[in-house]
Amino acid sequence: MKKGSAYTPYLFAFLSLLLLGLAGWVIWKDEVQLRPWKAYQQEYKELKGAKLQAEYDVAKKEFDGNGNAEKLEALQARLQAAEEIFQSRGVQEKYTGLVGQLDIIEASLAQNQKKLQETRGKYLEAEYLYIRGQKEQDKEVMQQLQGEIEGLTENRNVLLERKSALQEDIGELTNESEAIRAEIRSLHKGLDEKLMAIESNDRMSLEIRQIHIRDAGKADRCITCHAGIESSYRLSDRQPLTRHPAGFIFLENHPVSEHGCTFCHQGQGRATTSPDKAHGWVDHWTEPMHQGSMTQSSCISCHGDIEGLRGAEFISKGSKLIKKYGCYGCHMIPGYEDLREVGPVLAEVGTKINYSWAVSWLQDPKTYYETARMPKFYLSKEEAESIADYLFSMTGTTRRDTLYADEDIDWDLAEKGKAIWRQSRCNICHTTNGKGGNHTEIHAPDLSKVGSKVTREWLFNWIKDPKKYFPETKMPRYRFSDQELAALVEYIVSEFQDWDFEPEYEDPVPMKAESIEKGKALVQKYGCFGCHKVKGMEEMQDIAPQLRRAGVTFAGSGEMEEKIGAELSSIGSKPVELLDFGKVKDKIPHDRLSYVKQKLRAPRSFRDDLRMPDYRLGEEELGSISSVLLGFTDASRPARFVVPSYAEIEELEGGTDSHILSGDFEKLERDIKCLNCHKIGNHGYNYAPDLSVAGSKLQEEWLRRFLKQPDIIRPMLKQMPRFNLDKQDGMIQGNLESSEIETVMNFFRSDLVTDDIPAFLPDLYDGAVDQVLEGKRLYDEKGCVACHQIGNAGGSVGPNLSNVGGRLTAGFIFKYLEDPQRYNPQNVEPKYGFTERERIYLARYLMSLKLE
Amino acid sequence: MGPFIEIISKPDNIAIVVMILMVLFFTAWAFLQAFRNDASRKNGELIEGEGNGKVDTWKPLVRIELIVALVVFIGLTFWSLVVDAPLEELANPTLTPNPAKAPWYFLGLQEMLVYFDPWIAGVVLPTLIIIGLIAIPYIDINPKGNGYYTFSERKWAILIFCFGFLFLWILLIVIGVFFRGPGWLWFWPWEEWDHHRVVYEGTADLTNLVGIDSRSGWGFFIGGGVVTMYYALGMILPYVYWRKKKPEFLENLGMVPYVTVTFLFWTMLALPIKMFLRLVLMVKYVWVTPWFNI
Repeated sequence: MKKGSAYTPYLFAFLSLLLLGLAGWVIWKDEVQLRPWKAYQQEYKELKGAKLQAEYDVAKKEFDGNGNAEKLEALQARLQAAEEIFQSRGVQEKYTGLVGQLDIIEASLAQNQKKLQETRGKYLEAEYLYIRGQKEQDKEVMQQLQGEIEGLTENRNVLLERKSALQEDIGELTNESEAIRAEIRSLHKGLDEKLMAIESNDRMSLEIRQIHIRDAGKADRCITCHAGIESSYRLSDRQPLTRHPAGFIFLENHPVSEHGCTFCHQGQGRATTSPDKAHGWVDHWTEPMHQGSMTQSSCISCHGDIEGLRGAEFISKGSKLIKKYGCYGCHMIPGYEDLREVGPVLAEVGTKINYSWAVSWLQDPKTYYETARMPKFYLSKEEAESIADYLFSMTGTTRRDTLYADEDIDWDLAEKGKAIWRQSRCNICHTTNGKGGNHTEIHAPDLSKVGSKVTREWLFNWIKDPKKYFPETKMPRYRFSDQELAALVEYIVSEFQDWDFEPEYEDPVPMKAESIEKGKALVQKYGCFGCHKVKGMEEMQDIAPQLRRAGVTFAGSGEMEEKIGAELSSIGSKPVELLDFGKVKDKIPHDRLSYVKQKLRAPRSFRDDLRMPDYRLGEEELGSISSVLLGFTDASRPARFVVPSYAEIEELEGGTDSHILSGDFEKLERDIKCLNCHKIGNHGYNYAPDLSVAGSKLQEEWLRRFLKQPDIIRPMLKQMPRFNLDKQDGMIQGNLESSEIETVMNFFRSDLVTDDIPAFLPDLYDGAVDQVLEGKRLYDEKGCVACHQIGNAGGSVGPNLSNVGGRLTAGFIFKYLEDPQRYNPQNVEPKYGFTERERIYLARYLMSLKLE
Repeated sequence: MGPFIEIISKPDNIAIVVMILMVLFFTAWAFLQAFRNDASRKNGELIEGEGNGKVDTWKPLVRIELIVALVVFIGLTFWSLVVDAPLEELANPTLTPNPAKAPWYFLGLQEMLVYFDPWIAGVVLPTLIIIGLIAIPYIDINPKGNGYYTFSERKWAILIFCFGFLFLWILLIVIGVFFRGPGWLWFWPWEEWDHHRVVYEGTADLTNLVGIDSRSGWGFFIGGGVVTMYYALGMILPYVYWRKKKPEFLENLGMVPYVTVTFLFWTMLALPIKMFLRLVLMVKYVWVTPWFNI
């Protein structure tokens, strides 16, 4: 202890200094390190200041150059003269006297005001007492005070009158110079405003800024660093000071002040101490910021329809892929519940395909054609044979292949078939040897090697009536005669052969019962019924739980929900630690996106006994599907954000789908599948023109003629196919039967019309003006010719207008010009903002364009 | 070793690492001083603090306290500057964190839940700990060791305390913090805390091991008998021993303190015994009753 007293003072001094140093550190950390936004805001302020200053300089130069300096000088001189008069002795004395009187009155007024306030207060108190107690004496007090108030008010009015009189007198002395000053100010106005903008920018303090969206439970401070995100001009290309990209889509429809930032972008909106924290890239933050196109997955939170949504192209692609591959067959995915299975019915495949083909297809569909949608299940040859046995056992007892050698082919017949193939535009949907397949959304199979896959008999029966074999098929029924069919089948069988195909069962071999049983078990295990209606298993798809109760077990059946795969309706909120990374846990980052991507990239890589097949998706494809899936979260959103889907709106409005087809037209549509290419309401595809308002849009005579014989107004594989062929020579005679044309016409007239489009153009009386000529002048002036063709002149982006007067109704043109996206949001024609008068002129001009 | 470094460097666990180091240091320091003093006494030298047993408050004590206060203050300030408050995920009523751990100072109690049922581990034993601590002045009749370090003069008291504190409290906290992962499963420091880990542990009640259902009447009586015998023998055998060897010790202590001391002592020892039964012999409960299980 003796020793202690010697070094204690030094120790104490050392510790005190250390503490002082720490205090300095605390201040530095709090003011600088934890407020990185200060530097960003300062930089933004300087950039903005420089821009405003530059604008001011330009304006100033302009101002000086316009002879304003002389004007200003003259005004200054006049002002000086007026001031001199004002400063002269007599005037000045008078002015001082008046101002003195005004001061006295102001003082009296203030006193009066104070007294009045007091009396009113007392009056209110007395009134309260009287109402509570109903005593006479309170009422007397009230009346007395009321009298006082009246006296004071009277007094006040007198004072105010005298005040205004005095002010007028004073004004007489100063009016002239004030007027000159006002003139100077107005001359300076533009410059002054710019100066004020600079000053207000200079005055702006560095502070945390926040957007509070009460009903979304969001308090986003992102704009604290992203100071220029909403700005109309770009000050910097560097984060965080840039503008929001494509603001005309995103910010215009989702103002930052109403939607905040994290609602779409995720991240930790409240954090301001470091970029990583603010963006949610820290442990335990369950919603890290989306990056790049992944942000679009937030659209799903509010938008019912994402396909075709502007700015949501990435998830739109993902959504189409989900429909293409039929993910909903095995997984419960919200919004994809009522879609049909993507694969064909498996009931009579034994009569349709070659056994060897089936085995190789089951093992790897892509060896047959590259664009096959069916995934790879990694089946052994034996397993594939078992499944094939099970499927073939529905219609037979043997494994068999049928092959067509050259000598079996009737080449003359095949030559005829080739013409029919072309006229029927089979290549619009089907790809053959790399050609065709333009209508990509219909997913028709590639037919390059179909001759080695199917039998002649089946093909004949299939084209004759596709629905007989597969009721929900998208294939239209062509009205071929049996001879035409035979020719077409001959052509297909001869032309589209797989020369590498090696049949094993040209001589039929009987199947074994145990193999069939094994095949059945495999079909159940892998859930083939998710994509195909399998004969005898029709109910399995949606009654998986019952299946489980009945004792059918799968590996990992504990996670089975309604469907064979995991439910995905809140996959975007699933905690990362609940995702089992299994064998890949050291190979990929532990986050939701990486997990979902890996699941799509290599579904079996997590564990050995998994059932999900491999779709062999490209990185972009699996990215877009992942972004859709991660959009399904538990997060709540305010009702005002919700944009219901087309189907939901229809349900809300009428309880039924107003565009549901009915009657004879429905029968016709089911036969020739109009909606494979055309769109009516929300049904069908965008391959050919939208018909939702076609009854109001098209002229009857034109439509009738077109249906009889479609004009060649579009490139080859956009042309409407002919469904009927001439009986004699296979040349095109007409498209539909005349009774069918009447059916279409009736449906168009009754269902595909809208009150929105007027039957006639509004009357316009403007004397001698030739409205048609005026319209032509507008047509030339606005440069319509750049995209549209009339006669031989013009561009080919938009439709040819040479016969537009014979095709469209005037009312449609009139409404269409107002907003080209009105009836088809995908339309590329810009909005020109024509006046009603201009639209009438243009409509009259266009209606005059007719071909005889 | 990667997972281990990750666990010990978690902001949450820095306090425990510091605590371990401090406990080790002060234990070692106290024993060092005690052995030094014991050696001095053997040589007949005077021990500082013994005798009058008093030291000045001003300046020696206040000076030390001031400096310690400064050091602690500096340490805490530095710590709070360097390490941010460790936040975990947002509270979610539908999702319990796994592992759900008590505050670190209660992890010893939570670890006891592995060996006893919640009523015993969560209510009875903590209450007994508090009662035992309160009772210390009444049952510790040895006046030695006031104001100075010694070991030889209070061997038993120090050993029992060290066992109870270092092994049954500190060690269980360390186990709870560093060795218990998701599902409260045992993870060695080099093992990653895998949320999907599956471990099968087949435990059985003691009487079931010899073929008697622990929930039957026989099971109840046998289990109860084992527990009763444990305490009865634990009280009687030492009594007989001391009666013979050191009758004056028992006389000084008195009957009630003797029963209290032995009860508390054997209850304390019940924990390591039960740990052994549970971990090595896979015994779940010794005595199953409708109200509590031991």
